Amino acid sequence: MSGSQTRAPEAELGLLDATMIGMGAMIGAGIFVLTGLAAEIAGPAAILVFALNGVVTAFTGLSYAELAASIPKSGGGYAFVREIFDDLPSFIMGWMLWFAYMIAGALYALGFAPNFLELLHVYGIVPPPDQVGAVVLPVIDAGVPLAFLLAFVAVLGLVLLNAVSTAASGSVETIFTIIKVSILVVFVAFGLASPMFSGAEFQPLFPEGSGAAAILPAMGLTFIAFEGYDLITTVTEEVKNPRENIPKAIFVSLIVTVIVYLAVVTVAIATLGAGGLADAGEAGIAAAATSFMPTGLPIIQNGGALIVFGAVFSTLTALNAVVIASSRVAFSMGREGQLLPSFGQLHHRYGTPFVAILASAVVMLGSVALPTQSAGNMSSLFFLLSFIIVNVAVIRLRRERPNMNRPYEMPFYPAPPLIGIALNLILAGVLVEYLIRTDPLALVLSAAWILLGGIAYFALNRLRAQPTRSPTDTDTEVTPEAED
Amino acid sequence: MTNGLDIIIAGGGRVGFQTAEILANRDHDVTIIERNERIVSEIADEWIATVIEGDATNPEIIEQAGIERADTIAALTGETGLNLAVCLAASELDPGIRTIARIGRAAGTAYTRFVDAVLFPERAGARVAANEIAGSDVQTLADVTGDLDIMLVRVAEGAPAAGKQLTEVRFPAGTLVVSDDDGHRVARPDTTLTPGNRYVVAVEPDVADEVMNLMRG
Repeated sequence: MSGSQTRAPEAELGLLDATMIGMGAMIGAGIFVLTGLAAEIAGPAAILVFALNGVVTAFTGLSYAELAASIPKSGGGYAFVREIFDDLPSFIMGWMLWFAYMIAGALYALGFAPNFLELLHVYGIVPPPDQVGAVVLPVIDAGVPLAFLLAFVAVLGLVLLNAVSTAASGSVETIFTIIKVSILVVFVAFGLASPMFSGAEFQPLFPEGSGAAAILPAMGLTFIAFEGYDLITTVTEEVKNPRENIPKAIFVSLIVTVIVYLAVVTVAIATLGAGGLADAGEAGIAAAATSFMPTGLPIIQNGGALIVFGAVFSTLTALNAVVIASSRVAFSMGREGQLLPSFGQLHHRYGTPFVAILASAVVMLGSVALPTQSAGNMSSLFFLLSFIIVNVAVIRLRRERPNMNRPYEMPFYPAPPLIGIALNLILAGVLVEYLIRTDPLALVLSAAWILLGGIAYFALNRLRAQPTRSPTDTDTEVTPEAED
Repeated sequence: MTNGLDIIIAGGGRVGFQTAEILANRDHDVTIIERNERIVSEIADEWIATVIEGDATNPEIIEQAGIERADTIAALTGETGLNLAVCLAASELDPGIRTIARIGRAAGTAYTRFVDAVLFPERAGARVAANEIAGSDVQTLADVTGDLDIMLVRVAEGAPAAGKQLTEVRFPAGTLVVSDDDGHRVARPDTTLTPGNRYVVAVEPDVADEVMNLMRG
């Protein structure tokens, strides 16, 4: 968390680094995990799904760019809304964004597990993923699915790593992103060259029965694939000439990401077919790769392994990014007095926002028990809702503080935030309707989280009204205990 | 609650800007009101504070700076009369706010009937200059260091480092706790950070917020 709150004297990140942070977060797990699921709902129209989501997100991107350039704070969405709104709306924003990141973490962990199994399978260590049964744990005498166990271990490992050490960012992130994008470029190049591609079949574009309407729920599910450019605004202070570079970085990373997504999804559908992609689920891209990549290569043997490695690597780095992002939201809320003060304190030994990370970990570890699709739906829903608030924040700031210095002003105001609000609302509405039909559990959990937030908000207000110091004391005691 | 204050600074010139920079580095929330478009743009480049462009005596501009949430307003322009007017307008809009006005000459306590505190930067600068000329190294220690901040920090009750020995606390690199709690000894590894006591701490600006978090909570 070093330097997360104050402005660091040396701005070290250039436009490239800032762009890479956004791309690294976006081209993380979403493309590997969600392509198969989107193909399952929308068929070959999954290509359209990703393209349209890019357009929808671009409107919110404009709002983020304007806010990041005019409010010199590094906290991302929550920090901006906190600056503009009263207690309750900003609490809701933080509460929702925190949840969105945590569930995204669970989603990436759930995407990591089948891809990791696929990697082991490529080298013949384990049987094909669909034949991997449950591991029987003698201690608790019950079978636990191996994939679930892997996801759980991945979250636990990264949480512990982040809890006891302040992670390096910046240049490391740039290298990671270049690796990820290079692997996808290899995937696209070999896919285009493969004989399977020339016989590609994109008809019927829309799945039978539901038709073009199937695009909307698929957009809702995959909306999270474009979450990530907002993370650029969490490092603004480290960026050179932020008022120019931050808006640029947001737009460049969005555009490049859309291009990469479209290329990858097109190749995947062309080679494996929408049906085959849907069957492979979370490991869709990996399955497509093993179908056409050359085999018999030195060292890695199967060319498909490279892509599968890319999926494993991407899901893990994305998981790491959201572990940091979620704890950062909780930390900021603690600093602002919107969660217990202990959330906003650094651990005296590790120098990390220990309590915030542990609290985030509890929710993440619980959420890996969810089906992947539910995790995707829930995190998309909460990102949609919080992005609506970001757009409202821009309008409110323009109305209430017309004289505020805005180094970057979005073009055609007020159209972009209004369109952004409308589109995000439509997608959120479609998603809720889709959840009512297919996934009531996700909807109940979402509602429960919001309800829990309401209780927490009023309980905290009550607590603050009493001048007693006992709540703070009990919480600081937790920290040293957990350390040994 | 957070220990960061919500501060409005009217006038983003030399005094106002330097003040804003120091406060922002200490994790306070600063909003600057500045009339001159060129200076507004320069401040925006430094990215330390939200900037409202306009005349600080205009109540609408003061409201846009977030007066209802602010703890303190400091009028730091070069004009004494304007500074007093800003402070009076601010107290009118938000009676609970703490007001500080920069004045242009030594006026004793006359102005404190209207504002909570006055400052006379020329006098403060002159004191430093006098110390420098007289060659008294110890007194000017805080001023001769480049970016380093020498601060006197009181350890808060319930802060992460409160009641801990120095060896138990991992301060970020770029931090040095200088004095023992009674102020007579240089700090040792076994020095305990007793809540309520003050310690002299040398910190580099980029880790100041972490040190504040550990010592103040």
